[in-house]
Amino acid sequence: MTESVTAVGRSRSFARSVVSGAGPALVLIAMAAALWVMSPAFRSPTSLMLIGLEAAALGLVAAGQTFVILTGGIDLSVEAMVSFAGVIAAILIAGTNVSGGQIAGGFPSWVAIPIALALGALIGAGNGVLVTAFRMNPLIVTLGVRSILLGSALVLSRGSGIYIKKDDLLGLLTGRVDVLGVSVPIPLIVTLIIYVICWIVLKQTKFGRYTYAIGGNETAARLSGVRTNLNKTAIYAISGFLAALAGIMVMGRLESGAYQNGTNLTLMSVAAVVIGGTALTGGIGGIWGTLIGVFMIRLVDAGLVYMSFPSQAKEIMIGAIIVLAVLIDTVRRGQIPWLTLRLRGGDPGD
Amino acid sequence: MLATVPAGVGSTATATGPILEMRSIDKRFPGVHALVGVSMDVLPGEVHALVGENGAGKSTLMKILAGVYAPDGGEIIYKGQPYTPRTPGAARDAGIVTIYQELNLVPELSVAENMYLGMELERGPFLDWQTMRRRARELLSTRLHLDVDPRTPVGRLGVGQQQMVEVAKALLHEADIIIMDEPTASLSLREIADLFTIVRELRGHGVSTIFISHHLDETFELSDRTTVLRDGQLVSTTPTADLTTASLIQLMVGRDLAEHDPKKPAEIGQEVLRVEGLTRHGVFEDVSFTARAGEVVGLAGLVGAGRTEVVRAIFGADPIDAGRVYIQGEEVSIKNPRGAIDHGIALLTEDRKSQGLVLLFDVRENITLAILDKLTGSQFTDRSREREIAAGFIDRLAIKAANQEQPAMNLSGGTQQKVVLSKWLAAEARVIIFDEPTRGIDVGAKAEIYEIMNELVAQGDTIIMVSSELPEILAMSDRVLVMQGGRIRGELSRAEATQERIMHLATASNGRPDEADLTEVPADD
Repeated sequence: MTESVTAVGRSRSFARSVVSGAGPALVLIAMAAALWVMSPAFRSPTSLMLIGLEAAALGLVAAGQTFVILTGGIDLSVEAMVSFAGVIAAILIAGTNVSGGQIAGGFPSWVAIPIALALGALIGAGNGVLVTAFRMNPLIVTLGVRSILLGSALVLSRGSGIYIKKDDLLGLLTGRVDVLGVSVPIPLIVTLIIYVICWIVLKQTKFGRYTYAIGGNETAARLSGVRTNLNKTAIYAISGFLAALAGIMVMGRLESGAYQNGTNLTLMSVAAVVIGGTALTGGIGGIWGTLIGVFMIRLVDAGLVYMSFPSQAKEIMIGAIIVLAVLIDTVRRGQIPWLTLRLRGGDPGD
Repeated sequence: MLATVPAGVGSTATATGPILEMRSIDKRFPGVHALVGVSMDVLPGEVHALVGENGAGKSTLMKILAGVYAPDGGEIIYKGQPYTPRTPGAARDAGIVTIYQELNLVPELSVAENMYLGMELERGPFLDWQTMRRRARELLSTRLHLDVDPRTPVGRLGVGQQQMVEVAKALLHEADIIIMDEPTASLSLREIADLFTIVRELRGHGVSTIFISHHLDETFELSDRTTVLRDGQLVSTTPTADLTTASLIQLMVGRDLAEHDPKKPAEIGQEVLRVEGLTRHGVFEDVSFTARAGEVVGLAGLVGAGRTEVVRAIFGADPIDAGRVYIQGEEVSIKNPRGAIDHGIALLTEDRKSQGLVLLFDVRENITLAILDKLTGSQFTDRSREREIAAGFIDRLAIKAANQEQPAMNLSGGTQQKVVLSKWLAAEARVIIFDEPTRGIDVGAKAEIYEIMNELVAQGDTIIMVSSELPEILAMSDRVLVMQGGRIRGELSRAEATQERIMHLATASNGRPDEADLTEVPADD
């Protein structure tokens, strides 16, 4: 009996890895190849650079979102954090002069950036405390905090962008570097480094193990001595921090802190995580899938532009992607009886 | 729309042959041949017990009958016609209703609303609540002897009464065959007695019951015939009267399980745990007891007596309003499970799947979950040490897993319990609290769990065992504490403890034994 039970486990995890691992990667490659062939504009270095930049910002947000969703939660405040952190950093850099483009007695970015990042982590931790210690629904808490942050960004920026001039650090952070003759945006490199760190954290550290344990069975984790509240709070803090980092990147690239900087990033990040194979119910998934999801979304986004899809219709595409992603999630978990694809084969246990 | 309350004898009462025949049913899951040509028939108005160890294929067979799975081979003849239900709804409409262990009721809805859920009566465009309530009340009182207001939210009823509502729902669907999967698992003795009365009366009305239970005594008490499955194959279908406990166990496990006293008394040493005046208002009051090294302290009582709540509080899983806990004579303050674990206390919860294990984790990850912090000083995990530790426990407790990477969800109940136990032994717990240690665990694995408990006390550990199974309490405990209404009502030594004495204390009201209650408790031996 034992051997056969394992065989089920193997065949299941094999089927799952085909659907959730290799599958999306192959789709991604196919998409990129199709765009490459069909659109000369897509092949231009500028276009690739732009996709890389966009992928970097979404990637940072989605990395934090991956942690949160792995615990079975969700963070809807991330796009507001992108805007908020950008506005805060821009104000710190540009001083009190919000209407002009001059730096008037502001802080250097090496002061402004850490402050904005710390605020991001702190507010994220606040989300975590509300979700854990006060047992509030993460969906509503982060939706509320999203409004607070967006509103704050709007008020602080008086409704328009706060323009800055990049100093050396910000210039470096948002610049590009030649790797083997190819000019690669530094934000993308930073994002990839963050992904490697996330991967190590998830796979090699106690914190990572606890993240999966909480998503798999929070009660069992707590009764095994895992400080579930502390860990979850830290995870929301990470999400806030990474969203703030994305906010800095976006602000630096646009040379403007504005409340629109993070628009659409929440839904896109959730979509990227889910497309990447992380279950919305938590406990299953990983960081590399999310990265694939991020690039997929960016390719669809870019593809629509090069296919002359009207830019006003972008929202439709984003909405469709998130709905599709969640559909993929439910199909993948075999939650639709008539669409099980015979992958799970049912539960043989008694 | 099924509008009438089924009254009296079912439509098949005249038939003398079986109402249901399952012929050579085959079912494969990836890698598992779950059912191998299993045949079984059900006569009108019989109680048919289906027994077998975990993984024998009972649930799979019943899920085929209930329309959850489609068989890969074989045929089912029901009322003389081929029967191929595509969905659970189709099976129910055909008159085959399953009552699962986890009841399918909406707690917030009323009794009548639950009974008529999905088959509401209408008058014009509106719901006809008056008729639905009246018929629900009639059905409950005449057929199920349950006198509840049909407007009561189901969540306010006890588990036993909720189960009656499920039965009522089945009758409303004019069920000819009711499948009960472990119906007694969370019932008190009295509720079990009530349920059995109802099942016998259904039999009189021509309704057949297929009854799955791990409690062999229930099989003997209730069933007319017994079908035994083992490893997905039919072993036998026999009139229950021709069986004995020993012969039935032998059929189930395929070997003789020596019937002997599972307890090996250990040398009882110093006091290890002392609890004084533990109170959570409205749940348990003034609970005091001690437990010594090498001792098994049994915590007996009916469901709802507060036993689980007390041990959870000792473990720091729930807060207390008052009381003190001493370990090795020193007062300790335990605010959360982490604190309890640091003081060497472990809790094996009654529900392993929802509270004890991370089902998505593999065997190794579950075993090391509580000790990751101790394994390394750094933030990183140490996989090679984890593997070593897991291998040690897989060997020591004879955990039946193909390898350490097998997900916990694919393990049998007994093996899962061993994995949870390994987690606590790895954490070097010296006071081990078992809450319903063998619930849902088959006969063979039960004996193994008892043997492990013997080994633990032999090496000087302390065991506190909450159990609703009196034979288990009597067999394993050195001392029995009986709880009722949130208080400890009495303490019995191993020599003093008998089923009668325990039930006497467990059914006492306000501390005074109630003779009327006692007489209705079925002797379950």
